[in-house]
Amino acid sequence: MSITRINIGPIHPSTHGVMRLVADIDGDTIERIEPHIGFLHRGVEKLTETRMYMQNPPYMEKLDYLAPMSYDEAYVAAVEQAMGIEVKERAMYIRVILLELQRIASHLFFIGTIGNDLGQMFTLFMWAYMDRDKVLDLLQEATGSRMFYVNMRLGGLISDLPPDFEERALNTLDYIEKRVREYELFIEKNPVFKERMKNIGILTPEKAIDLGVTGPVLRASGVQYDVRKNLPYYVYDKLHFETKILTRGDNFSRYKVRLLEMRESIRLIKTAFKTMPTGDAIGMPVKLRSPPTKNKISIVSREAPKGEVMMYLVADDQKPYRLSIRSPNFINLTAITHLAKGLRMADLFATLGTLDLVMGCVDR
Amino acid sequence: MTEEYTEEEFKIAKKEMDQLVYESLKDKDVKPNVMFAKTSEILRALKLSKGMIKWARVNSLWPMQFGLACCAIELMGFGSARIDAERKGYLLFRGTPRQADVMVVAGWVTKSAVPEIKRLYEQMTEPRYVVAFGECATCGGPWFESYNIVRGIDQVLPVDVYVAGCPPKPENLFEALMKLQAKISGKIED
Repeated sequence: MSITRINIGPIHPSTHGVMRLVADIDGDTIERIEPHIGFLHRGVEKLTETRMYMQNPPYMEKLDYLAPMSYDEAYVAAVEQAMGIEVKERAMYIRVILLELQRIASHLFFIGTIGNDLGQMFTLFMWAYMDRDKVLDLLQEATGSRMFYVNMRLGGLISDLPPDFEERALNTLDYIEKRVREYELFIEKNPVFKERMKNIGILTPEKAIDLGVTGPVLRASGVQYDVRKNLPYYVYDKLHFETKILTRGDNFSRYKVRLLEMRESIRLIKTAFKTMPTGDAIGMPVKLRSPPTKNKISIVSREAPKGEVMMYLVADDQKPYRLSIRSPNFINLTAITHLAKGLRMADLFATLGTLDLVMGCVDR
Repeated sequence: MTEEYTEEEFKIAKKEMDQLVYESLKDKDVKPNVMFAKTSEILRALKLSKGMIKWARVNSLWPMQFGLACCAIELMGFGSARIDAERKGYLLFRGTPRQADVMVVAGWVTKSAVPEIKRLYEQMTEPRYVVAFGECATCGGPWFESYNIVRGIDQVLPVDVYVAGCPPKPENLFEALMKLQAKISGKIED
């Protein structure tokens, strides 16, 4: 058979961003695939060096626009570490609650788009997006904005939770829990979904560790690694939740592990509301001159919905001297060159979809 | 349908229709389209007037399924259940530029993406419209000082409607497309 080289993209509906793939195909089977990135590169790391510390969170949020708060929080935590600022206890709880709400919103988006990637146009997307809007409403109530929040301040937050937030949040979470069950039935009772996702795009645990993938993609391959459990930050070690792992490492496991994680997040938020102390949660106001830095180098590791985010900050007087971001999406993307070998053309997009990439974070 | 006409009659009909289309677009500085010439005979049979064409154009604006960055998520929200853009005739996101009327530029435009965006725009059939959705597409937004950013899509393509916000809400896109409708139907000027 002869090998044909075809070009996919750079603008393709299946990717959450702009990416180009060059595929060598033999009939309908993929022999080799080469991702080309950089269509969204805007030099975030360099731009942060020209801004004061607390001018940077809005830039961090635009890295991963499906879970902006996770990145914002990781950066602010790095700055807090550099300045030796303690976070107030109530603020820790509120941060955990908001971050988990953000995780639910991000995974709901994944559930919505996986249907599109498999060619099941828009039913699942409509359902999931409707529920995501409900979670975004909660976040809007707590922070004042629908998509980009910028609510983290040094040592706390911009504001405490509004009154009656707990009641409304619990109502919404109960609703989401019911809907998660519906998604499960919708996808797992459907023979087409099962045929298209089971035993396709298998990533073995050894290979997953070699590639350095993190987050749900790693846990679907059967590796027990979650930053929230392994290197607990804030109050995650006091709250009750499990790290769900699945062993098969195929597309179906990668979908399923996210669904199970949503349930765990709901449980986590409920326990956090029960044990949340009263008190002050307001952080320092944004000033151009920030407190003097104590640590020259600070490294922060966080479990974002897509995987492990690390912020490596070398502090200067009033600005970051250097900020390096470990992007989970970039490293998860490298798995596609390995996974695509031997796949059918139509399954490539399902596999790409289950990696749940955000190109804004890949290109930076 | 062609059997009912002789070849000569068909030629005359086509010429007349082209004239009609040309006149309706004369002030807009665009050339009559190839697609219209092919369907000219059917249009003649239906006796469509200039006003009818405009009416059809205003009420079936099809956006292209084309997202760049963060604002594309809100663009998806525009098509989702809460806003339900279909009630105004906007929603039928086309996967190919050849079937689309509106290009919603949602996200920052990098120098490496410009040739692709230009190519997609050129592949769209005329008349074509561009909406700059969000700060980045309007003026470069927060990336104004970056080395790899085009400061606004209007440096590359002619823009019809600008939408401010970072990101704008889906409702804002709804309003922008209503503005675009008014612009096409001649209710508001450039």
